[in-house]
Amino acid sequence: MEFIFEGFRKAVQLILSGNPEIFAIARLSLTVSLAATALAVLAGVPLGSWIAVKKFPFKKLLIAMVNTGMGLPPVVAGLVVMLFLARSGPLGFLNWLYTPKGMIIAQFIIALPIITALSISAMQNVDPKFYNQILALGASDRQAVWVCLKEIRLTMVAAVIAGFGRLVAEVGAVMIVGGNIRHQTRMLTTATVMETQMGNFDMAIAIGLVLLAVGFIVNLALTLIQQNKVLAR
Amino acid sequence: MNKYLFLALALTGLACGCQKQAPREIVRLATTTSVRDTCLLDMLNETFERDGKYTLQAIAVGSGQAMQLGRTGEADILWVHSPDDEAKFVEEGYGTGRVTFLHNDFVILGPAADPAGVKGAKKAADAFKKIAAAGAQFISRADQSGTHKKELKLWAAAGIKPAGVFYLEAGQGMAGTLSIAEEKKAYVLADRSTYLSMAKNLKLVIVNEGDEALINRYSLILANPAKFPKVNAAGARAYFDFVLSKPVKETIEKFGVEKYGQQLFFYDYEPK
Amino acid sequence: MIKLSGLRLAFDTGFSLAVDSLKVREGEVFAIIGPNGAGKTTLLNAMAMLNRPAAGNLEIMGRDALASANKLPLRRAMAAVFSQPYLINDTVFNNVALPLKLRGRVDAAAVEEALELFRITHLRDRNAKTLSQGESHRAALARAFVTRPKLLLLDEPFASLDERVKESVIQDLRKVIKISGAAVVLVTQDQAGALTLADTLAVLVGGRILQQGEPQEIFSRPASKEVADFVGVETILSGRVSANSENLCSVEAGGHTLMAVSACAAGDSVFFCLRPEDISVSRNADAGGRRNNFKAKVTGVAPWGLQYKVELDCGFTAQAAVTKQLVDGLGLKPGAEVYASFKATAAHLIKRNL
Repeated sequence: MEFIFEGFRKAVQLILSGNPEIFAIARLSLTVSLAATALAVLAGVPLGSWIAVKKFPFKKLLIAMVNTGMGLPPVVAGLVVMLFLARSGPLGFLNWLYTPKGMIIAQFIIALPIITALSISAMQNVDPKFYNQILALGASDRQAVWVCLKEIRLTMVAAVIAGFGRLVAEVGAVMIVGGNIRHQTRMLTTATVMETQMGNFDMAIAIGLVLLAVGFIVNLALTLIQQNKVLAR
Repeated sequence: MNKYLFLALALTGLACGCQKQAPREIVRLATTTSVRDTCLLDMLNETFERDGKYTLQAIAVGSGQAMQLGRTGEADILWVHSPDDEAKFVEEGYGTGRVTFLHNDFVILGPAADPAGVKGAKKAADAFKKIAAAGAQFISRADQSGTHKKELKLWAAAGIKPAGVFYLEAGQGMAGTLSIAEEKKAYVLADRSTYLSMAKNLKLVIVNEGDEALINRYSLILANPAKFPKVNAAGARAYFDFVLSKPVKETIEKFGVEKYGQQLFFYDYEPK
Repeated sequence: MIKLSGLRLAFDTGFSLAVDSLKVREGEVFAIIGPNGAGKTTLLNAMAMLNRPAAGNLEIMGRDALASANKLPLRRAMAAVFSQPYLINDTVFNNVALPLKLRGRVDAAAVEEALELFRITHLRDRNAKTLSQGESHRAALARAFVTRPKLLLLDEPFASLDERVKESVIQDLRKVIKISGAAVVLVTQDQAGALTLADTLAVLVGGRILQQGEPQEIFSRPASKEVADFVGVETILSGRVSANSENLCSVEAGGHTLMAVSACAAGDSVFFCLRPEDISVSRNADAGGRRNNFKAKVTGVAPWGLQYKVELDCGFTAQAAVTKQLVDGLGLKPGAEVYASFKATAAHLIKRNL
């Protein structure tokens, strides 16, 4: 039991001393996951809104597939991305394997179905008569979707929180695509695994604590934005 | 709408820019976990990158996987320790310029209580015989790495096919395997350098060492540019020459002396 | 302004809308009335280009409204208000300004003017979700008017309002329509409202237009039994024209000979229609020169809006509308003996197809 306390104590020391390596790793984790989330939002929100609003054949099937994508295991996404980005793979010329860019791509693929599915669901909750009303006031389809999105922005922020949370916590994809290379692609999650395996529990706990903190702070910020919109009304 | 768009693009831009400033050439080194886990690799690579020409991507996997990366042209240069596989690798034309330049040794680790009575065995293979006979728990790397291959060779020398309840296959790197052995108070084959770097966290002790069979030889192999035009041949050569240079020889020979009181790696190559 | 022909729309439920011809002129108020489920909203949605007819032509402001290239420009020349206000979660000002924003225009003066027209200037900075029913309906109307559309489509915009508020909103709307000169298509179940506002009226029942024309025409001379039923003709008797002398018809119906002014020929089978307002009830036989006088016994007295409806047995059943004063004055209650009379000109004959 003491070794846990001991580890915890040393961990706090490591953090408070401002260990630069830990914070560099944290910065990378934040950047990669935030960028992947942002890309997923840029792609997933319009995609999800379009799917929700338009009528087309096999619509239900497509929505089911997107929902299934939410459960895509991150390691599988990582494996697929790695195979594509490998030198002998189709996208090898990019040289993105074992780089942060590659990790962003892998995390983007993980977050995209989540954001898209939640956007579809949120848009489908908008009363179609409301949508018609906006059209009937002179809106194009795109404008009407945008107005509806603003009406459901609380739900959309929740989707972003969900997406980011999933990404900052995953370890499989970034391990396979990033390679946990020191100073280059080592993330909070992969570093935790490595330090644990090496038996450096104080370091592992320190990194784990920072991981918790990062997730908490970002979610707190997003929640405040979301709730502010509620309060301002 | 526009401010959200801007924010999103800014973040993406930030992420892409978070790599090093000037575009450097990438050299991909596939090496073993034992080299990484001693922190020798970190130290050397910092020096290599200091002149600013190359970014070294050091992927630490088992020797087996490292050579597999070599077979598909994914790696520019290999630093591995699996002599039989290495020879085959070069024979099949995947690698060139193989130099066996470094050695340390393996040790057999086990619980201080030594239930199988391994202490005192002359040869490593005898130690293995005793472990099997006692049915004492043994953890194998089981990952086609150089350490794993050495372990299998010793079992073969002992005339035993390791299987059964006592033989656990971890499928992990050296550090991970050691952690499992520590937890289960089991016997395990490890390279001395990794053991020493983790010793402060381990209660396992050395129960057998010194046998000639336990010598562990490391080689550098260049990926064959004729077979793989995509490899960074120049960068690989640069790293190759770097490691096989006098200053690095000295650095490697000094490595660990201060921290562990003994030399961890023995340089066998005479740089020009 | 709107020319509709051969429009066909069908639904999975089996309901279908078929409108052969409909015209809305510039600047006129065109009301569509009908019972629930008649297809009024579907028809309006078709005019708003919100659904796709299976067949037919729709021309709005001279352009083919079914061509997708025309949809957005046409939408930008008109506005619609539905039975729910569907305001966005923002200030009233921003709600009313929305149509301008959609067209890429900023015109605070136009917004202020629209707020003024519907008397909600004092609400401009309130959040739309906090408005009362009447206030939010006004806001929706102001929002529709802010771009001064040439065509306005209204789908039961007063349906959920209570009487007093409804009156007030209708008055404001009437004033604004006059000022703006826009053409208005108004779908409503409220016949009194339609009578007040409409220049032309169409009765839609079961997906078909049964009659189109001036409101007064339709109310006093419904073209068919269904229309009569719907517009509130309460007394409908089956009979036969026995004679026609200079358009004064004698009709054998309800066991009596009734007189009606009509062009129907002798021998025609007809429905004899009377509105409750047209039947007078008195203590004595009418000396006022009405051709139809009958002795009657009161069989029922019930409140009917601000008046009373009295059911009479004249040998046939008739419904008369009378004031409360009359009910009290004559002591009208079941069993009372009275006289019922109505003018031949008030009666209306509908040919029966047997």
